[in-house]
Amino acid sequence: MKLEGEQLLSADPQTVWAALFDRDVLAEAIPGCESLEQLSETEFTAVVKLKIGPVSARFKGAVTLSDIVPGQSCTLSGKGSGGVAGFAKGAAQVTLAPEADGTRLCYDADIAVGGKLASLGNRLIGATAQKLTDAFFTNFSDALAQPEEAGPT
Amino acid sequence: MKLPSFEYLRARSLAEAWALHSDAGGDAVYLSGGHSVVPSMALRLQAPSRLIDISQIAELHGVELQDQTLRIGAMTRHAEVLANPLIARHAPLLSRAAPHVAHPAIRNRGTIGGNLALADPASEFPAAVLAMRAELEVMGPEGQRMIAADDFFLDLYETALIPGEVLTAIHVPLPPEGRLFGFDEIARRRGDYAMVGVAAQADMSDGVVSDASVTLFSVGVAPTRATAAQDALEGAPLSSDSIARAQAALATDLDPPDDPGFPAERRLQLARVLLGRVLTRMEAVQ
Repeated sequence: MKLEGEQLLSADPQTVWAALFDRDVLAEAIPGCESLEQLSETEFTAVVKLKIGPVSARFKGAVTLSDIVPGQSCTLSGKGSGGVAGFAKGAAQVTLAPEADGTRLCYDADIAVGGKLASLGNRLIGATAQKLTDAFFTNFSDALAQPEEAGPT
Repeated sequence: MKLPSFEYLRARSLAEAWALHSDAGGDAVYLSGGHSVVPSMALRLQAPSRLIDISQIAELHGVELQDQTLRIGAMTRHAEVLANPLIARHAPLLSRAAPHVAHPAIRNRGTIGGNLALADPASEFPAAVLAMRAELEVMGPEGQRMIAADDFFLDLYETALIPGEVLTAIHVPLPPEGRLFGFDEIARRRGDYAMVGVAAQADMSDGVVSDASVTLFSVGVAPTRATAAQDALEGAPLSSDSIARAQAALATDLDPPDDPGFPAERRLQLARVLLGRVLTRMEAVQ
């Protein structure tokens, strides 16, 4: 399914760009993130615990950054497996544009869910994806508001 | 599929339930009717290490008239909600919602407290409780709290309950004479999750609606109060004009998500159609 949105962040584009590649900021922003390891400049592995109603599962997955146009746009792709509960994968194209007092971050994501999660939760995937995306950007925005975490990588 | 292994403990009192819950360090789930928890464990969507059976705790049982409210114990099963004459008289939205909740076998075990504590966005009872402006009685180690339904359902499967607290009862304010009620839903088949549902009540005075309460379910992350639709109804007679205004107001009240195969615009249209049906029936009754 497709998910589009945008977020106005109070930091300038360079700071936002640096944060997108900052392990500490991402670990704080990803909802339910238990661990995040940086394998290279563009590759991460993550363990995420999700608890939403009758679903409580621990996902292990990989996050990769590609199509990098420094300071402007990149693609964030991730896939994760929650064991017998199912799997999720998705890619989001992220674009940054300068604004008067900050940065406009636009995302255009495509998310797929499979396994039992999909058969049981199809009716709720839209709402769940929206909730997690909102949580990510709220956390990301909060992390940016703390200046010591905005250093370049 | 068989369930992952877990520890089953039956609490004899609320104090014991809280103690057993806090012992487990967050890895315990309260069990009432078990018709959401157990299937989700069988599907391995969750695997708590401990289930605490609260079904035998006295405070959770019974349906009784109190001063200004009808107190419905959280352990009241859906089948009892459907059949109870006090509920039919004083909380008719629940009686009308109950036939839409799953199937008879599930209604014989599932409980209204478990249903409300889970807060599935497509579930009937949360919207009915919200429409009746009921209060939820919650007890935890810190004491008892009464939470208005408007403050209880927060987000997708998220309620105002804090970990360890038990929903013990629902208090429904007794309705005045002549209150109009309406409830309906659209589902692909009877017993399926609703695609959209409406619960409504209205008080009339001198031929005009003096107070309207309209809620919808399966239109977002939680049951939703349609405040713009309520405003459209209040102060005017219940007529095709005011009903049309209420239907149009839903575009302000609702912001349904796009789900695979079910675009937001279609859901909004179904909500308008269903609200029109429910209010038209209420108009005919008065």
